[in-house]
Amino acid sequence: MHLTRRGFTTALAGSIAAPAVIRTAYAQGATVKLGMVVPMTGAAAESGSFAQTGAKIALEQVNKAGGVLGKPLELVFEDDQTTNPGAVLAFSKLASQPDIVAFLGSIRSTQMHAMAPDMLKVGKPVGFGGTDPNLTKLGNPWLFRFRPNDSYSGKVIAQFGAKELGKKKWAIVHSTDAFGTAGGKALAEALPDNGATLALDQGYANQSQDFTPVVLAVRQSGADILGTYFTFETDLGIFARQLRQLGVNIPWVGSPSIVNVSALKLAGPALYNTYGVADYAEDSSPASKAFGTAYRDVRKVAPDNQSSWTFDAVTCLAMAMNKAGSTEPNKVREAMLAIRSHKGAEGEYNFDKNGDGLHGYNIVKNDKGEIKFDKRIDFTPQLG
Amino acid sequence: MDLVLQLLFTGIGIGSVYALVALGFVLIFRATNVVNFAQGEFSMVAAFLMVVFSVKIGLPYWVAFVIALICMAGLGAVFNLAVYYPLRHRTYLPVIISTIGASIFMANTTLAIHGPEPEVLSGWFDTPGFMLGPVYLDNQYVLIIVVTALLVALQYWFFEHTLLGKKLQATSQDKEMASLLGIPVALMIMITFVYSAVIGGIAGILVAPVLFVSIGMGATIALKAFAATIIGGFGDVTGAIIGGLALGVIETFGAAYISVPYKDGFAFLVLIAFLIFRPQGIFGERVAEKA
Amino acid sequence: MSTTETTATTGDIRPRLRWGVPAYVVLVLVAMALAIAVPKTGYILNISLQATTYAIAVLGLTIVLGLCGQINLAQAAFFGLGAYAVGIGQTEYGLNFWACLLIGTSMAAGFGALLGASTLRLGGHYLAMVTISFQQIVTLVLINWIPVTKGPDGVRAIPRPGFLADGSTYLAFCIAALAGLAFLVWRLRDTRLGRAMRAVRDNELAAGVAGIDVYRTKVTAFALSAILGGIGGGLFAGGFAYVSPDQFSFAESVVFLTMVLLGGVASPIGAVIGTGLLILIPEWLRFLKSIPGLYLAIYGAAVILIVLFMPDGIWGYLRGQLDRFKRAVLPSRTGATLHLSGGGEGTDTVMEVRGLSKHFGGLKAVDEVDLTIRRGGVHALIGPNGSGKTTTLNVLSGLYRATAGTIELNGQDVTDLPPHARTKAGLGRTFQNIRLWRSMTALENVMVGAERPGSPIGNDPAALLARARAALAFVDLEDRADEVVANFSYGHQRAVEIARALAGDPVLLLLDEPGAGLNSSEKVELRNLLKRISARGLTILIIDHDMTLVSEVAQHITVLNFGRRIADGYSADVLKHPDVIAAYLGTAPDVPA
Repeated sequence: MHLTRRGFTTALAGSIAAPAVIRTAYAQGATVKLGMVVPMTGAAAESGSFAQTGAKIALEQVNKAGGVLGKPLELVFEDDQTTNPGAVLAFSKLASQPDIVAFLGSIRSTQMHAMAPDMLKVGKPVGFGGTDPNLTKLGNPWLFRFRPNDSYSGKVIAQFGAKELGKKKWAIVHSTDAFGTAGGKALAEALPDNGATLALDQGYANQSQDFTPVVLAVRQSGADILGTYFTFETDLGIFARQLRQLGVNIPWVGSPSIVNVSALKLAGPALYNTYGVADYAEDSSPASKAFGTAYRDVRKVAPDNQSSWTFDAVTCLAMAMNKAGSTEPNKVREAMLAIRSHKGAEGEYNFDKNGDGLHGYNIVKNDKGEIKFDKRIDFTPQLG
Repeated sequence: MDLVLQLLFTGIGIGSVYALVALGFVLIFRATNVVNFAQGEFSMVAAFLMVVFSVKIGLPYWVAFVIALICMAGLGAVFNLAVYYPLRHRTYLPVIISTIGASIFMANTTLAIHGPEPEVLSGWFDTPGFMLGPVYLDNQYVLIIVVTALLVALQYWFFEHTLLGKKLQATSQDKEMASLLGIPVALMIMITFVYSAVIGGIAGILVAPVLFVSIGMGATIALKAFAATIIGGFGDVTGAIIGGLALGVIETFGAAYISVPYKDGFAFLVLIAFLIFRPQGIFGERVAEKA
Repeated sequence: MSTTETTATTGDIRPRLRWGVPAYVVLVLVAMALAIAVPKTGYILNISLQATTYAIAVLGLTIVLGLCGQINLAQAAFFGLGAYAVGIGQTEYGLNFWACLLIGTSMAAGFGALLGASTLRLGGHYLAMVTISFQQIVTLVLINWIPVTKGPDGVRAIPRPGFLADGSTYLAFCIAALAGLAFLVWRLRDTRLGRAMRAVRDNELAAGVAGIDVYRTKVTAFALSAILGGIGGGLFAGGFAYVSPDQFSFAESVVFLTMVLLGGVASPIGAVIGTGLLILIPEWLRFLKSIPGLYLAIYGAAVILIVLFMPDGIWGYLRGQLDRFKRAVLPSRTGATLHLSGGGEGTDTVMEVRGLSKHFGGLKAVDEVDLTIRRGGVHALIGPNGSGKTTTLNVLSGLYRATAGTIELNGQDVTDLPPHARTKAGLGRTFQNIRLWRSMTALENVMVGAERPGSPIGNDPAALLARARAALAFVDLEDRADEVVANFSYGHQRAVEIARALAGDPVLLLLDEPGAGLNSSEKVELRNLLKRISARGLTILIIDHDMTLVSEVAQHITVLNFGRRIADGYSADVLKHPDVIAAYLGTAPDVPA
């Protein structure tokens, strides 16, 4: 190695100084800016890239249609490194730029909890995708959810399995992270209303290399239907394969990750004939179909909920600003709450007073690797 | 009983994965007395190389396999020159940090080049597995168990019955003495790193069909393999194998009969118990400092 | 951190402190004022809070790793214990912020001491693995013990104390806390405990033999480190108002470790620099975000480069640069004479050894040896190579446990005591292959000797310092008191080692081949030194090969061969003994049946 100590020190000093220089060179443009917290590194980096694509498609469409208040819309991305402190820093970095008028938060509920105090302080509208029902009950008026929350997914899975498939003895397998725990709980609570019983409630830690004990527990439980909340696609893939290998073939209704693009790729035939609740299903409506087409043009693969919610969030925020005729936070908020029957990629948006925009799920079926829309189950929201 | 047998097979299967990665740890530890915290990333990089050569470029499996391992040998050499060799006269601490840095570097460079999507890499077999009585055997796990056994045998033979192996052993026991005897110590260390990168690579390619190919695949396995190495005792190949298998079995049974979410905890509890009550591991000897 | 014994000592060793402390206080006050007065965005506030609270935890690593040389890959777990205590205690149990901080810190201290306790049997990589295991288990418990920890959801809406509710005020408070703790850590280095830790780090064996309770020192270091982790975590929870398990994972422990190594383990300034940079650098590198992974890849590469090119961290490097401009300090002499009490007036016998055996498996390295060492004078233990001399000495000083037999020192049975307790009872020794604490100065080495527990000098810092200087003056090295011993010649290192033993005013001095490796003029000096020591009334037990040296200084000689005593008596008689001559000439000893 020819790098000398002095050379290294100089290089280090240079690299520390460089970003400061670059940053000041950025000019202030005449655009309306949306800030977006998104994982670019870490475990969720992959879904982060989908989310960016969805937002960028919406951005293009908004700008093609004349932008916001006559100015082009612009997206500013910050990496949350898939961690909570990373998300807090990324958001506060965005929040410190006064020309950003609204934000897109995270699809991960823990990150939303971490950022929520700062979001309240900043006082500008935030669209997000985390599905923990509590997030819209924090008394934080700036949070707007662009996916149906988990109380709906639990209800929909239970209702579909018990009523449509007629299976009453359930095994639930869920990740022990915030998403999985909340989802598993919501599903378990929805079972009695549908005349079904719980045979097994099994948590697992994310990024396990082996699911044999879990699969055997499902098999031993004698359940006739399986409901799952998986967070990572690799976990889902390993579980699905081992489930089939050990001869468990009961009907399976899973949380949205079961119809994710990567899950389909990884698990292959092991996921055939499973059902998933999907906030995004390409065939569920003309608006969904249109988004699907636009997405395929960019990414060459089928879209999923990672990209559809950011697409809807950017579209709705732009629409609300145009309707409010201003980027003033309170006016945008009012306009957001007034949105009724907006046909988005995810479904029909009717914001209730908590900030929940969607109130139902699509049920889709994995038909030999193709995701087929089965039916949509909606609940009536209490609009304030 | 069927349940127990099934769990036992799974435990041994996953334990073999730990053991295979542990082999790499032991080799480097024997030669240099440091633990390579980037050992898991060797497996990850090799699996991605395999995806590139075999899936993306479409080379035949064996050709891709050989090219990937050649690349791993190169990586091992570079790793030695950049991460270990300049620090060889320092204590173990800077080396640990340096290998941790290397681990972060390799994982994120792969992320930057390839992107975050996990990949599928198929194994040799067309069928996923077969039933042996009441127990389902995953072909790939069977292969892993067999390859691990073969590599251990090979390694044993190599160290005990070849001149190069004996030279390597001499180097690991006393570098000064070895160099006085005319053994090129630097070369021996280089060979060790190259070899353990290749071993790590084989492990990565073998587990890929089971665990998929992802950026994080190396880190979790490596930590367990490291635990296995300690349970088995550093400096002993057999110990690492037994340690790996024991860990896999304990984990699987612990998950099945005690708690699934705490699965990773069992490994570490066993480890702590071992460290406190038998720090020399199952087979290793404890070297006391002389006055 | 006992303050009574620190003040005077540090004041004397570091005269710059007199203007340094007020300047430091002013600097901290300015920083606090800036924290309150300068308007800042939430981003700047968050990042400053993160850097400040992390730095407190990193200070803990300065103690355990920098001072005591023990690896700790679980600092994030301790940080998490503090954070969760403040979070859960306030939101669930309605406790006061300060009470929670205290609880969290105590919990961290308890677990820290427990981890430290595992160092009794483990070091190096094994210790690294124990700390990693502890870290992983804490993470798993935080995630899965949902009724208490709220699981992966984490704890939210964590309040701050009323008068610190404002973010800027809270930041100023954290800066004050950091400054205060950093000051304590800085002062710790030159306290008795700090020196003991450094001695353990540099050479554990010598530390034990010099009277330091190695085990307790390590446990203390771990506990202190965990306490700082706990405080940092508690303040972090107050700063961010939300905690969840993934903030305290193994990856964060690695970050903490990298921070302290980047800045430099030797000084709390290094900890602060390292933390600041490692929090800022990834933020600066955000402009590389268009390619995922790129900036973490650069971060990883930077870690390697820093370890390669800045082994002492950034602060260590800067210190090195600054030291080039430092004027040489004029050597000072106190001219004090060294008083050796030799254990005072007592019985005629200093050490009584009966039937001492040490077996290694089937090998009887020492076999039923009797030894009586009279007060005053020099007693030599000689014998051919492999006769069991050094083993005997190691059993006498407690490095080996005797298989059988008894050892009495000054009338006290020390057979089963560990090395440091024997030193307390009055034993001093040197090693054949010199065991100094190489990164410490000659004076610091000898100070630790003077601090021998049970020494008649007592605990007065000024008296201890005077004692250490006198001991150095006795071996003619007072001029070089403030130099690091690693740069000393072999002969001088030997002299410092003897001075270290003398400084503790022992009852009996064991010298293990003091003449080994010395040239002829150094040997003459050594002989004169031994004669001067003996003249002051201190009893010496010496092992050496050099028969000239032995016959010149020793009045009494015991000869060992094959682990057995073959002769014992006055020098002149013993050296004429036919068995001794036979043993040295190589013929089989003519032992009567």
